[in-house]
Parts: sequence; structure tokens; C-alpha cells
Amino acid sequence: MAEAPKYDVVVIGSGPGGYVAAIRSGQLGMKTAIVEKDEKFGGTCLHVGCIPTKSLLLNAEVYDYFKNAKEFGIICKEFSLDWQAILARKSKVVTKLSKGVEFLLKKNHVETVRGFAKLAGPGKISVTDSKGATQEITAKNIVLATGSEARLLPGLEPDGKALLTNKEILSLPEIPKSLVIIGAGAVGVEFASIFHRFGSKVTVLEMLPRAVPLEDEEISAELEKSFRHQGIAIVTQAKIGKVLKTAKGISVEYTVGDGKPQTLEADTCLVAVGRAPNTANLSLEKTRVKLERGFVKVNGYMQTDEPGVYAIGDIVAASPLLAHVASMEGIVAVTHAAGKPGEPINYRQIPNCTYGEPEIGSVGLTERQAREAGHKVKIGKFPFAAVSKAAILGAREGFVKVVSDERYGEILGVHIIGPRATETIAEAVMAMRLEGTVDDIAHTTHAHPTLAEALGEAAHAAVDWAIHI
Amino acid sequence: MPTNVIMPQMGESVAEGTITKWYKKLGERVDRDEALFEISTDKVDAEIPSPAAGVLTLILVKENETVAVNTVVAVIDGEGAAAVVPAPEEAVVPKPGAAPPAVPPTPSPAAGLSAASAVARPAAFPESAETGELRTSPLVRRIAREHHVDLGQVKGSGLGGRVSKKDILDFIERRSAGGAGAAAPEAPQVTAAPVIFTGPTQVVPMTPMRRQIAEHMVTSKRTSAHVYTVVEAEMTRVVATRERCKEEFERHHGIKLTFTPFFIRACVEAIRELPIINSSVDGTNIIYKRDVNIGIAVALENGLIVPVIKRADEKNFLGIARAVQDLADRARAKRLSVEDVQGGTFTITNPGGFGGLFGLPIIPQPQVAILGVGAIEKRPVVRDDAIAIRHMVYLSISYDHRVIDGAVAEQFMGKIKKILENWDEAVL
Repeated sequence: MAEAPKYDVVVIGSGPGGYVAAIRSGQLGMKTAIVEKDEKFGGTCLHVGCIPTKSLLLNAEVYDYFKNAKEFGIICKEFSLDWQAILARKSKVVTKLSKGVEFLLKKNHVETVRGFAKLAGPGKISVTDSKGATQEITAKNIVLATGSEARLLPGLEPDGKALLTNKEILSLPEIPKSLVIIGAGAVGVEFASIFHRFGSKVTVLEMLPRAVPLEDEEISAELEKSFRHQGIAIVTQAKIGKVLKTAKGISVEYTVGDGKPQTLEADTCLVAVGRAPNTANLSLEKTRVKLERGFVKVNGYMQTDEPGVYAIGDIVAASPLLAHVASMEGIVAVTHAAGKPGEPINYRQIPNCTYGEPEIGSVGLTERQAREAGHKVKIGKFPFAAVSKAAILGAREGFVKVVSDERYGEILGVHIIGPRATETIAEAVMAMRLEGTVDDIAHTTHAHPTLAEALGEAAHAAVDWAIHI
Repeated sequence: MPTNVIMPQMGESVAEGTITKWYKKLGERVDRDEALFEISTDKVDAEIPSPAAGVLTLILVKENETVAVNTVVAVIDGEGAAAVVPAPEEAVVPKPGAAPPAVPPTPSPAAGLSAASAVARPAAFPESAETGELRTSPLVRRIAREHHVDLGQVKGSGLGGRVSKKDILDFIERRSAGGAGAAAPEAPQVTAAPVIFTGPTQVVPMTPMRRQIAEHMVTSKRTSAHVYTVVEAEMTRVVATRERCKEEFERHHGIKLTFTPFFIRACVEAIRELPIINSSVDGTNIIYKRDVNIGIAVALENGLIVPVIKRADEKNFLGIARAVQDLADRARAKRLSVEDVQGGTFTITNPGGFGGLFGLPIIPQPQVAILGVGAIEKRPVVRDDAIAIRHMVYLSISYDHRVIDGAVAEQFMGKIKKILENWDEAVL
């Protein structure tokens, strides 16, 4: 007779999807292990994604305050950047949080296994460690949480100097004088915001007709306006041609529409054209797991077509590549594995956040999507320029846009660009999750003076009239 | 581990209960099974024992407040730790392995989760009077208003049974697609079609209890393949036995000798020979129950309660008579416990109570048969080609043809008739 599987749940990958899944699995009383190939737990998010970039964005913001100190009545005669100190602070934050993850895994009795995991038959995983030693572990349920890597341009490997991905750019020896960013999605926009404020000459090239192409069109327009105002060059509909390493750095050729090819020379180039799922080396081809262009197909409870195998996070087909999505998917998966009641994942109620300057926070349908879905759309919009707290912060740009359905006042989407947009969006996500109406947000008392007032006002505008405009 | 104390379901059709008294104060110790609070429902008043030993750390429902069945009313903490507000979903979702709900899930073909959650009405925390016991959303309430949907009829798919936009839109779609029968609705729909009547009317919303009865009855009708048969039994020997023994019986045992124990004894003996009568349907399985627990339907002023005589097959005539008397006394004094109204495997009802000749009752789910006892009266009958006057009774049975065939039902009724007509068991 076969032995009982050693673990109830084995999670492969310890990013924000995997480690959250493992913790919840432990909390649910399941015998759990987590496999990690890298030295530290936390995955892309913690080591080369969310956390380090947001740390650098804060440096940029602080630096901005110094630059504008006079506006606040503070005279700063001499200040300068210390890039190494900036990186050191970033590393300190990452190390602290990484230890936190390790502590939480331990606290919830999650066993840790080091090495690279492959599926080795039903309920079986083989793990090869850095020394090449292989062990086999057995599990009733397997959660694939292997994440993604930056997509590259064909034939161009990042070299850490002239050609970078989100990884290499975090350990540049110095701040580049000029930087070309290919891709104006969240990653491109955030690094543009960081290095522009650190003094680099930044040009962003986007293939699609607008920056942050997944956001509402008005958000894209506001961001492009703000970037131009700040002095960040942004070129949309740019088709990338030859990218060549030169003596000085790199040259990037691009064409806009039917125009003539143009060439940009820069110290370095960041490739931020999307992410590719890490599913190739898991031996999935021997299972019933179905892939769609490398991404794993799952149902609402994150189950793959192979019994007992779940997939979460960046590797999931049609799932937004966001840390918080991965975490929620992890909870959904292990709750299901434990046989506990739970809701399937709902991608309509997920906040999208871009942490550049200005910040963008959005949830639900854009205005265009809502109209295309046949809704009788009613928009409520309110600019931060009319919000007291924004004036105090010295912020002049941005707005809150509420997309609602006129019939019942259903909130279909909320789009915020401006100061602290990534925080304020939380209220809108909750309202949508609870199926609140625009009236509910309008009749929610918002503290004064706060930036959240803008959301209340936009909701008022969606019902009838905003007050402060 | 904190333990949630819930409002128990007292009887088949009770949807809510009022806490009339807390015996323990906040922070006081309570032992397991010690009286914790007193409730009053449409049917019974009862002392509810504590489900666990510990300290009463949280009282969520105050005295004289009425809440839905399965609502968490208090929390008891075993270690006397700080009060923990229970997660709402834990309060209502029946956990595997936990005590079965008072009304067992209807074993409908749609079965499984849907049936279980249809029984456990969404009701976790006491909510404001405005929203009632239902968990919905502002959007759902607006849609309900416009489409005149009674949200009590919509099954919620969200956490704690919360009714979402999708749930109500599905409900409306099913409703417009052709009423209750269409697309096998998961929750029983009480109204099949809108009532169209042009004269003056008065619209009175159903009470929660009425709605519960309506749901259970419709669910049973849709679940079981009801078939009926009626036999006539001569009660001469039973009546004579009772007349002969009743004074001595009362003197000896202190209880009245009624007809009820005679019928129960007859049913128990007949079930012994035909155990399928004492079964349930679970999907494609038949569950035979070892214990014979006979429920006796008792009409109350505003409804009906069915106290259950547990293990009636292990009791002699006197034991059964005592059990009947005890349950009857306690039902009248509103002192029945939750236990008393649960676990029935076969039911006897009494359509003869108001002179009815016989009735064709609806089977209480998940049982598969119910016996109706008509009025016992003297009737002219033919005996040896002469007209004689005899005590007679019509006995009806409603049975579930999914598992009981006509021949079996006839044998069962024949057996009961034989036992009653040839009564020879000592009653004293």
C-alpha cells in the first residue's frame, strides 16, 4: 500500500502568492511545506519588485521635497543624492521584510525546503538543491506559485549596464545620466518617475497609443500631460527597431506610425514590456495542467486540470500580474484545498496601482469598457485641485473618476490619478466588493481635510452635483 | 477555543426565536449543559443548555430580542480569554461533522450544498430592523425593490449566505423564465405566478414562520413522489381494552390512557417488519435507520409541533404511554427542548382531531412516510351478513414512491390494521 502523502499542501515559490498561501494553509491546520529556489523568501515582489521600487520612489519623493523646500518655507542650501545610501536603505527594508516572511512561515508551522521544484507524478515533487542533491516530497495538494520574469526583446540579454530589466536596474553602480524605458506600463512609469527625479534624462517609448494602456483613457491622458509637464519625454505608438549596444551605452531605434525611424542614444535602457510566466521547467507537460501561451489555466478556485494541483499568481492565465492578486488567489486556493467554504476569485474587484508621480489607483471597468458592456453610464469626476488636502500637499494634478450605472447607481469602476491614489482606491474597492452604490459613497462621511474627500465628491457628482466645485 | 452559542431551531417550521431570559451574566462561568438562556418561539418555550463550559464572554442578543434561527447569540470562551467576535460565516455555514441542523437538508436530486444552505438561512449577526435577518447589499436591495423580489426567497452565494447582484439577477431571470418549475430552482419558490385578481384585496406579508412552513411543504412535495392509501380498521378491541383498563391505568401509573400509544405500538411493530418505512433517501442511497423515533404532530394555536418519541422500538406500551404524556405536558407548558423535536424517523398525525374522516398529509422531509389517523367513531358495518355497529377508524398513509412501492405500503397498512383489530397486548 502506498504511503500517505507527507504534506497536505506543498507550495512551490515563496512570493506574495506562495508565502501567503502557505501561511493560510498552516493556519487552517494543514501540514504545509514551501519550496524556494532563491536564498531568501519573498519572491519578485519583495526582492526585485514592489518593495524595492516603492522604497526608491520614496527616496525620489523626499528628494523632491528638498528641491521644492523653498515653497514650504525651508531653505536648503546644500543637498545631494547618495545612490549607494539609497540602495542600502532599500536593502535594509527588503531584509527586514524578508525576515518577517520567514518568521510568519515558522510561526504557522510551515516547513521550508530549499531548491528547484518539479512535478514528478501525481502528488509528487522532486526538489533539487543548489548542490545538485535531489529529494522527493509528497503532497495531497500542490500550489504552483512560481511567478514570472521580465520579458526580453528578442536576442537581447540584459547585461546589467546598458540593458536592464527590473532586476538589474536596482543595482546600477550609479544613477544614469540618460535612460530609455521601453514600455509605459506600471513598471516603466514607476522607473521613469524614480530616475527622472534623481536627475536622469528619461524617455519612455510605448508601442500602444497611450501610456498605462490598461487604465481609463482619461487617466492615460492625465499621466502623459503630467509627465510632459515634469519633463519626462513620452512617445506613444512607438515601434521599436534595432537596439544596439554602443561605446557610450545604447542606441534605440523606433518609428512612430509611418514616420521615419528615429534613434535615441542613452547610457542605459530598461526593458519593461511585460512579464513571462515561469512554467517551462516545472514538468507540467507530464500532467493534465493546461497552458495558454505559457500561462496556467485554472477555475475560480485556482484549480488546474490536474487533480490536487492549484496555480496562483503571475503564472495564471487572465490573472492580473499583481502581488495582491497572487496573495488573494493563494488564500482562495488553500481554503478550497482545506474544504472550507470560500468565494471564488473575482477579478472585477481588484485594485490596480501604479506608484509613480502622480500615483494611479483604479478598480473595475473603465468608462469605455462600461459603455461597451452596454451599461447606461453615469460619470462623476472631481479634480484634486478643488480638494483642501491636495492644496496643503502642494498637489495640483489629478482627479477621481467614478463610473456608475445610472439605473441602480451601481459602481462599475473608480479611477484615481493624483496624490496617494493608491491608498484612496482601497475605499472604492471595498464599496464595490460590498456592492455599494454611488449614493453609498456619497453618503459616507469623509474626514476633512483628506484626499478621500475627492472620492466622496466624485460620487456626489455621479448622483447629482458635487459640492466643492 | 471560543464557542458560538446559536439560536436553536425549535420545530419544523420555526424561523426565529425570542430570548426571554439570560440565566448567566456577561463574564460569568457556565458549565456544559447548564441552563444558559430561555427562549420563546412560535411553538415552544424552552431553556437552552450551554453547548460548552467556559466563561460567557459575549452576549450578542439581549433579552426580549427576536432573532432568526442559527443566529449567534453569545460566545463562550473555554479559557476565559478576551471575547472574540466570531466570523460571521462560521456562524451559519453548517460545518462538516458538526451537529446536524434541526431540519435535515432536503435530499433533493439537486442535493448537496444547495439544499443545506437553503435550510441554513443567511442569518449571522442580528442586523437592524430595517434589513431584517438577510444579508444583502445596497445594490441588491435596489434591484429587489424595483422587481418586487422578496429577498427571503433568494439564495445567497456569498460569505454567510450574502445575496449578491448575481444571485438576485439569476433569481429574476429564473422567475421570468417560467416560475418555480423552470430550470430546477435551488431554493423553493413559494409563489409560482403572480396573483391576478381585480377585486379589492388586502396584501399581508407572510410571517417568517409561515414562509418556513410554505417552503418545507413545497420542498417536500417537490422532493418526494407522494402516493396515498387509506384503510379502515375496526377499533372494537382497542376501545374495549381502553375502557376496561383506563381507570386502573391512571391509578397505577398516574397518566391517562389515550389511543395514541396504541397507534404508536402498531406502527413500531409494522416498521419492524417493513424497515423501508423508517428510511431516508440520500441521492441514490437509501439510509435505513436503526432507531425508530416516532414524531407525533400536535396542533398548536398558531401552528404545529412534532415532538419525537425516541427509540419507540425499545419501549413497551407503558413506556410509550409515559413518553407521550410527558411530551404532551411539556408541549402545553412550552417546555420542550430542542432534542424533543428532532430526529424523527416516522410521523403520526391526527386529521381526526376535529372530526375529519381521513387526511392525506405531506411527508416531513427527510422521512419517507406519515400515518394519518382519522376520527374513531361508531359506524354501521357488515359482519356475518348483518349490519353491526362497530368502532371504526380510517387510517391513511402518505408514502414516498421513490423507495416505497404500493405493495409495501399496503402490507404496512395491513399489518397495522391487523394489530389494532386483534389487539392482545397487555397495557397495564
